[in-house]
Amino acid sequence: MRLPYAVDRALVYAVALLLAAWVLVPLYFIGLAAFSTPDAAYSYPKALLPVAPSAETMRFFLDSRGVVSSIVNSFAVALLTIVIALLLGAPAGYALARFAFRGRDAFAVLVLTTKMFPIAILSIPLAVTFLQLGLYDSIVGVALVHSAMALPFVILVTSGVFVAVSHELEEAAQTLGCSRWTAFLRVALPLALPGLAAAAIFTFVISWNEAFASTILTLRSRTLPALVLTALDQSPITFKFAGGFVMAAPAIAFIFLMRRYLLNLWGGR
Amino acid sequence: MNARSIVIVLALVITACSTQGTPSGGAAATDQGSGFVFASTQFTPTTEQEAMRTKILAGYKGAPVDFITDAEGVILDRITAEAKAGGAGKVGLIGLENGQFGSLISGLQDLGSTMDKYKGIPADFVGLGKLGTATQYYVPWMQATYFLAVNKKALPYLPSGADVNALTYDQLITWGKNITDKTGKRMIGLPAGNNSLLHRLLQGYFYPSYTGGLVTTYKSADAETMWGAIKELWKYTNPQSTTYAFMQEPLQSEEVWIGFDHAARLINVLKAKPDDFVAVPAPAGPKGRYFMTVLVGLAIPKTTANQAGAAALIDYLLQPSTQIATLRENSFFPVVKVDIPGDLNPGLKLEADAVAKQAGAKDAKPVPLPVGLGAKGGDLNKAMVDTFQRIVVKGEDIRTVLNEQAALVQKAITDAGATCWGPDGSSTGPCQVK
Repeated sequence: MRLPYAVDRALVYAVALLLAAWVLVPLYFIGLAAFSTPDAAYSYPKALLPVAPSAETMRFFLDSRGVVSSIVNSFAVALLTIVIALLLGAPAGYALARFAFRGRDAFAVLVLTTKMFPIAILSIPLAVTFLQLGLYDSIVGVALVHSAMALPFVILVTSGVFVAVSHELEEAAQTLGCSRWTAFLRVALPLALPGLAAAAIFTFVISWNEAFASTILTLRSRTLPALVLTALDQSPITFKFAGGFVMAAPAIAFIFLMRRYLLNLWGGR
Repeated sequence: MNARSIVIVLALVITACSTQGTPSGGAAATDQGSGFVFASTQFTPTTEQEAMRTKILAGYKGAPVDFITDAEGVILDRITAEAKAGGAGKVGLIGLENGQFGSLISGLQDLGSTMDKYKGIPADFVGLGKLGTATQYYVPWMQATYFLAVNKKALPYLPSGADVNALTYDQLITWGKNITDKTGKRMIGLPAGNNSLLHRLLQGYFYPSYTGGLVTTYKSADAETMWGAIKELWKYTNPQSTTYAFMQEPLQSEEVWIGFDHAARLINVLKAKPDDFVAVPAPAGPKGRYFMTVLVGLAIPKTTANQAGAAALIDYLLQPSTQIATLRENSFFPVVKVDIPGDLNPGLKLEADAVAKQAGAKDAKPVPLPVGLGAKGGDLNKAMVDTFQRIVVKGEDIRTVLNEQAALVQKAITDAGATCWGPDGSSTGPCQVK
């Protein structure tokens, strides 16, 4: 049986609305509590609309020492991580996709084994090494660790992407005067861009949410999760909401920025 | 925005951002050497951190200080890493609870020669700072304890003959029962959620008050009686207690009327509604009115580049005026002799009175935090909270659970090599569960 067009559309929109509400309703309540007076946040039952709007909690949170600089640090670390992870991971993914070499399957598995190693065990040796190398308490140091965490995903995602980019197109470009490098740069890379954007978003989220390595490896140059995670655990709920809002909002903004590249991947209209 | 401009923006952002945060806090530096980090497991809540940086440390005129707080594991790992890496460390001063210093001993300076400067620190506090050795590893900094905060609406339901300032656990149970019978609500609150301090209530209050010990009496017949009493208490305790970390929040929203918690976790409601609340000493059990004294100390790692600066900061933090500022802002009580000012916030006044009544009660017996467990302290806490969960929340058989959990308690203590402390007396080898 075929549904009438209007019913079909209505169902699609209903499901879309449900999915959107699934994500947006909690964010709405977080935002609501973050911008309410403490009394309103404590009251029960909770108000559904902003009855006592106040930026007081938010202002105190953002004025707390280190919060603004930690947001900046978080972005810097995440972006640096994306650059390092893609510079190292994309060529590795390309090699896995294009070349048959001895130990290729073993390499693909080996890449994943790094995810099997719990970083908590490494905390003291890692901190000692970074102290000795002078990388301790620096953004570059944290970005290096985050890159190591993100690389397995980047390599596997990009190799999948490059497999999907037709090898014939690159060869055709080479017959028309491209070198192997320019063929990659002008043909394979643009076609792979949506996939690379997906890898970049993934890397961003890994780095943005990571707290353990950043906590262990920094004192003053802290990222946002490292700065607020312990503090918020033991703070009044209004600060939990303010911190949650500040944690979530930039990540959502970043994903919106990258969204157009993803839509390419999924055949957006 | 095309791909190239994104790349350019990224590059700009990274270049712009790749700077380290600059140290701040304290006032402008006079000639006191290089700045350093003051790392602590205390004052982790956002508001307390800010109060520490902007108010308590405001009068400090020495080298620039960065006050940083984090969970115990993180702080200990970091200090251990600096000690292992050698060279000059960034951490100049550490502020930990008495029980958290154990694993750091070899990296701490001897502060014995400075102790004469600090007047009026009780001798047993000074003794705790030696961590069972002859060396003064830390200087006592501030103290806290646990007691009950009670909404005045609960007072009419007090059992007849009970003095709210000298309750017993049996009276507390009857009180809760009276309230439930008359109002239909369970209005007692225990902090039994994640990040709560329930293990301290068990270690410093329930266990010693009922059994006269903790480890040595863990699975004794007295302990069985105690768990039976806690189960009875739980009948009149708000079941939402398993979500409470800080009792001040459910007290403020009147989900509960009677809350048992750490002074710093009750202060907000007492400050917000001082006229609606009373603060009273912890109840007494068959063996006495045991209560826990939380002692926080200051130590200087050997690796710090600015020993003199760190010592100057200790001097500052132990001045009576700073100690009172610490009480006013973050509700930790002084360790040196001070005159409590008359204009104290009414909520703080309630707390100060409760602390004095508790320590001054005829049957009062103070207990320290667990000693000598170091990193294994978490295992001990977990074993105890799990005992509570299994017996009280899930309703498992008391004897079975005690026998099983006692093995975990023993393992934590044996692994740490901790001898008996506080109410358990002393021992030559690791303290033995009985």
